[in-house]
Amino acid sequence: MTVIHDMDDKAEPKMRASDVSVFYGDKKAIDDVSIDIPTKFVTAFIGPSGCGKSTFLRTLNRMNDTIPSARVEGQIELDGEDIYSSGMDVVQLRARVGMVFQKPNPFPKSIYENIAYGPKIHGLAESKGELDEIVERSLQRAGLWNEVKDRLGESGTALSGGQQQRLCIARAIAVDPEVILMDEPASALDPIATAKIEELIDDLAGRYAIVIVTHSMQQAARVSQRTAFFHLGKMVEYGPTDQIFTNPLEERTKDYITGRYG
Amino acid sequence: MIALAAASPNTTQGAANRMSPVFLFLLAIGLGLAGWLAGRAKARAFSRDKDAPRIVSRPGYHAWYVAIWVAVPLALFAVFWSILSPILVDQWVPATPAGQSLPTFGFQRQSMLAEARAVAYGQAAGVFNPDAAALVEPFREASRFYTLVGFGFALALAVILGLWAFTRVRPAFTARVKVERAVMGVLLLASLVAILTTFGILASLVFETIRFFGMVSPVDFLFGLSWNPDPMSNPAAPQGDRYGAIPLFWGTIFIGAIIAMIVAIPLGMMSAIYLTQYASSRWRKIIKPALEILAGVPTVVYGYFAALTVAPAIRDAAQAVGIQNASSESALAAGLVMGVMIIPFVSSMADDSIAAVPGSMRDGSLAMGATKSETIKKVLIPAALPGIVGGVMLAVSRAIGETMIVVMAASTAANLTANPLEAMTTVTVQIVALLTGEGSFDHPATLSAFALGFVLFMVTLLLNFIALRVVKRFREAYE
Ligand SMILES: Nc1ncnc2c1ncn2[C@@H]1O[C@H](COP(=O)(O)OP(=O)(O)OP(=O)(O)O)[C@@H](O)[C@H]1O
Ligand SMILES: [Mg+2]
Repeated sequence: MTVIHDMDDKAEPKMRASDVSVFYGDKKAIDDVSIDIPTKFVTAFIGPSGCGKSTFLRTLNRMNDTIPSARVEGQIELDGEDIYSSGMDVVQLRARVGMVFQKPNPFPKSIYENIAYGPKIHGLAESKGELDEIVERSLQRAGLWNEVKDRLGESGTALSGGQQQRLCIARAIAVDPEVILMDEPASALDPIATAKIEELIDDLAGRYAIVIVTHSMQQAARVSQRTAFFHLGKMVEYGPTDQIFTNPLEERTKDYITGRYG
Repeated sequence: MIALAAASPNTTQGAANRMSPVFLFLLAIGLGLAGWLAGRAKARAFSRDKDAPRIVSRPGYHAWYVAIWVAVPLALFAVFWSILSPILVDQWVPATPAGQSLPTFGFQRQSMLAEARAVAYGQAAGVFNPDAAALVEPFREASRFYTLVGFGFALALAVILGLWAFTRVRPAFTARVKVERAVMGVLLLASLVAILTTFGILASLVFETIRFFGMVSPVDFLFGLSWNPDPMSNPAAPQGDRYGAIPLFWGTIFIGAIIAMIVAIPLGMMSAIYLTQYASSRWRKIIKPALEILAGVPTVVYGYFAALTVAPAIRDAAQAVGIQNASSESALAAGLVMGVMIIPFVSSMADDSIAAVPGSMRDGSLAMGATKSETIKKVLIPAALPGIVGGVMLAVSRAIGETMIVVMAASTAANLTANPLEAMTTVTVQIVALLTGEGSFDHPATLSAFALGFVLFMVTLLLNFIALRVVKRFREAYE
């Protein structure tokens, strides 16, 4: 029932979801979704509000575990390993699959401590020097280094909204993840800060598998190579971004993209 | 017995004199009701009249407007008159012919007047001094006169203001705004009561404290190391040496801020963490109210527990391990029980603070791969820390002001020691001991209680002030 376009590129799948359904109590929020998420690409999830994009995104790093009523069925693999199996350590999983939230949520700690948080809990740095290096490298990659290098001791919450969001991205990449999940990372930001985030996503794309949820068609078109359209808990169509936007095979996808749909 | 002859006339009349404020209040209610009815009738007539302009406020507001103008000034006058009229009566009596025969000054004159007044107002059956009997009638006369004057004034006041208010009742008159302003004034007064009382307490404390410092130097009091105010036990010692309050301050801090907090902070924090982060909502629904009930147990009950159960147990345990001089009124017993008493307080403040940390902070940490306990330790508690610190300061201020537990379980011996097994006393225990003794109210031993109370008041005020500011800042940070 899901239309999946031919993907002629040689992208290898990083994560693979098979027949995934998610329930909140008795309510089905995701219905039988199967999708391959390629590495070194940006995959966009689009769809009307409430269709289950965030819910599905959170199954990929098991953040749904924190919601008592949520239940996941089906199988999700990371490099061929079932992430819901008993052998999978959720702490390790989340170190490999990072997440950036809609609203910037820096910890009420210094900028330095915000970045150092992940490396410290995962024991990634042997020494202070190594930690300094990780902090600098992460801030560099997030394009924030030049703005904050003289005030690493200041509170992360004192930054502007756009800077806070880049701080959160830097925090996520500090533990060297393989996949980064972003849930509407720019929806709380102005156009200039949004442009910076998009640029950053472009830069990061060659290195990680990135999944981004967005309500902006333009943003999806600009930053992603793959797009999945969700509707009422189902994945309706999935394919290369340019094909989804120029030549959707499904009527519902076309309606949504051309704005005839909520 | 000439004296008793004066007793026969009616005591009801004397009672009536003192009833006059009550009558004035009844008058206020009665006239207020009349004003209410009149105002409503007039306003209703307007609202029924098709030709009149549309009435701005509903008739009920006009009614209240008139009633307030009648009754409130009248009630205020009643209060005022009940203070003023006895003074006027007392001035009237000596000016009468019977009053001319009074001795010119002194104790005798005062006592004769007092006797006559008591008989006239029906408080006493008769006079002892026969000369005073002649003054009873002038007292009665004066009080009748001033009662009449009071009624006259009151009536005139109510009628004039009532009529004035009544004439203002018009369709365009915004009676509702006026009435609401009056209601607001009442609410404001109500809120001032607590604040003014605090100032009243402070003023009386300051007054007595100054008297005390007239006898004992503040430096000796605040920094002296020996507390021994009982005049009998050591009459030879010079004053200053007996009022060194350091042992009391130390005992208070040791029991209330150190031992009690060593118990209350960890247990309160752990219970808050369990309740906010681990407990299922079913457990939470059981444990939280249970803790709150614990906070409502009268402290005297904790006092029993400390004195009858914990203190002997500690002494026996100490003796069992070979410490012979353990006191049965140890600081440890009072402090431990006080700590238990404070647990619900710390726990609920910490609970609120942790719950106030946004969920996105927790999610951010979990999404980094932090475990639940790492998240609590490294993100939630640091983020909630200002709120928790504020809560602990409020708890300390409660503990050092706490009286019943220490009165029952701590000793009155002012020892300056860091051994928790020894007897120690606190500021509140000493205040109770000093004020329940037989000492006269101008002896420094009694006055020292006020100085102690003043210090306690200032310290807790300061603690509360700082704590509330810290908590407020913290709340603002997340809004
Ligand atoms: N914690 C929860 N408990 C119960 N139901 C939930 C919960 N979170 C989401 N849902 C429901 O699941 C469905 C999908 O929600 P989800 O947040 O995934 O939508 P979304 O596509 O991300 O929407 P949006 O674009 O508005 O963010 C909705 O119907 C929502 O009401
Ligand atoms: Mg969403």
